[in-house]
Amino acid sequence: MYFGPMSSSVDPALFFSPSAMGQLNFSTPSHMTQLHPQHQRILMQQQGKQWAEVFSCASVSPKKLWSRKADPYAGLMTSKEKDWVVKVQMMQLQSENMDDDYYYQTYYHQLERKQAEEELLGRRNKPPKLVTPFIQKVETYDSVVRIAGSLGQVTVSTCYSPRRAIDAVHHALVEEELPPYPVLFYQLFLQLLEVEEVQQKMSMALREQQPHREEKKTQKVESIYQALKIRACSSEEEAEDEFLQLLCVRKGKKLMARLLPHLIREQREKILLTITHHLPFLMKKDMLDESLPLLYSPLNEVVGEMTFNRLIEVLQELTRPLPESSELPLTMALKNQFGISLLYSLLSHGERLLSSRVPLKPCRGDFEAWTDTVYLMSQELSRLPTTSLAEPLFLPSNLVLLFCRYLDKQTVYHLAAKMTE
Amino acid sequence: MNYMPGTASLIQDIDKKHLVLLRDGRTLIGYLRSIDQFANLVLHQTVERIHVGKKYGDIPRGIFVVRGENVVLLGEIVSKESDTPLQQVSIEEILEEQRVEQQAKQESEKLKVQALKERGLSVPRADTLDEY
Repeated sequence: MYFGPMSSSVDPALFFSPSAMGQLNFSTPSHMTQLHPQHQRILMQQQGKQWAEVFSCASVSPKKLWSRKADPYAGLMTSKEKDWVVKVQMMQLQSENMDDDYYYQTYYHQLERKQAEEELLGRRNKPPKLVTPFIQKVETYDSVVRIAGSLGQVTVSTCYSPRRAIDAVHHALVEEELPPYPVLFYQLFLQLLEVEEVQQKMSMALREQQPHREEKKTQKVESIYQALKIRACSSEEEAEDEFLQLLCVRKGKKLMARLLPHLIREQREKILLTITHHLPFLMKKDMLDESLPLLYSPLNEVVGEMTFNRLIEVLQELTRPLPESSELPLTMALKNQFGISLLYSLLSHGERLLSSRVPLKPCRGDFEAWTDTVYLMSQELSRLPTTSLAEPLFLPSNLVLLFCRYLDKQTVYHLAAKMTE
Repeated sequence: MNYMPGTASLIQDIDKKHLVLLRDGRTLIGYLRSIDQFANLVLHQTVERIHVGKKYGDIPRGIFVVRGENVVLLGEIVSKESDTPLQQVSIEEILEEQRVEQQAKQESEKLKVQALKERGLSVPRADTLDEY
């Protein structure tokens, strides 16, 4: 390593290794404008000197010329790479502040002083010139610089701002990352956690304290429900609807799954209705994540409590034709794991209601809608190849019975085989 | 050409034979082929030299990439291999010598610790990485 300016004798190795030739082709990089002017001057002088010396071969003795063998491995580090390292190192020298690079600044001040003295001794008639170092003020700067084609980042600091830690993650790749969860999520989760806490305390505490806790819990649950802003929206508005957006994200589905048990029946059924209404949209958005099954379990419970009339309402969401597609939501659902599980769950519950002794209290058209749905289901099930049918999370045992009610033995047998495959 | 007079730079040292002393006490000798802004080094035809007393032994190691923070010091080797008062021996011999030396050191250390303990003083264990 060399400290201080290069003496006039040039290392012979510089002439005969490929790297040296590369070095001599070095042109002033832009960052040099930020250097101490004395430094700049010296560098320019040296460049000129080197060129002259190469061509004149003035200061090299013949003996030294031939004593070195050619190094076959030399030049691994190209001049471009050397320039790059120097550039990085020079960048870190930029400062207005003495404290940032004391040795660099002191050296150049001293050098200037010495040169001024020498000039003074040489030419006493000329008054000493006051040379003030010009350091360009940089208005804005990137505290972390990425040089193209290199790994990692370099910190650049001035006296205006201290060294900033290099970012561990490079932010140019932001487009591929998912957007961060909205603040609402965290709020909802916090509220949900509080609800669950109260629930836990309730189950463990004595009866007398229940009403107070119960009230607190229902209040909290209600506030969460309101925050969800579940409302009717058309298929065009699906992408903008806040509730559906929540459901498109895994965390949102988890939130719903945990919230559903705490809601009242009406609210749960409304959620089920909304989900079924927008099922094609949700299934499409879930293709990467495949997190819809998280909702199966709580929704299954909701289904299990529904009245026949409500059940028909939900089923009708799946059988109504869509404007943008020739496929029915029911068919689409059969190809999706969550969809097929939900369908089975709905049909199974219907069958349970029909076979039980409880009076159903149907509305007009309910039974027709029911039989239509069952026929449609069997039709689609037999039409679709087994490979495109998704595997359900759970296969209810009474579906075969259901089909037996309406269809002939052969068809039932065929469907049963398909469902269990 | 000196790119940065008034500063230290390894650019001048590229393709020259160097002796590098590492923080773990190892001595490496090799041709410095590449550097970066952290003074990470790429050493070529590296040899790890073990010194025991007046003897030394070289273990050929090939190419080394050394992380800059682990370097204590490095310097260019200008003199030739024959210009040394030290005696070169085989690898096996030097490793044996080293083992013996380590053992002796451990023994003396043990006695020292024992003696201190008897006098009621305890010396905490030094950080093995930065043993001087």
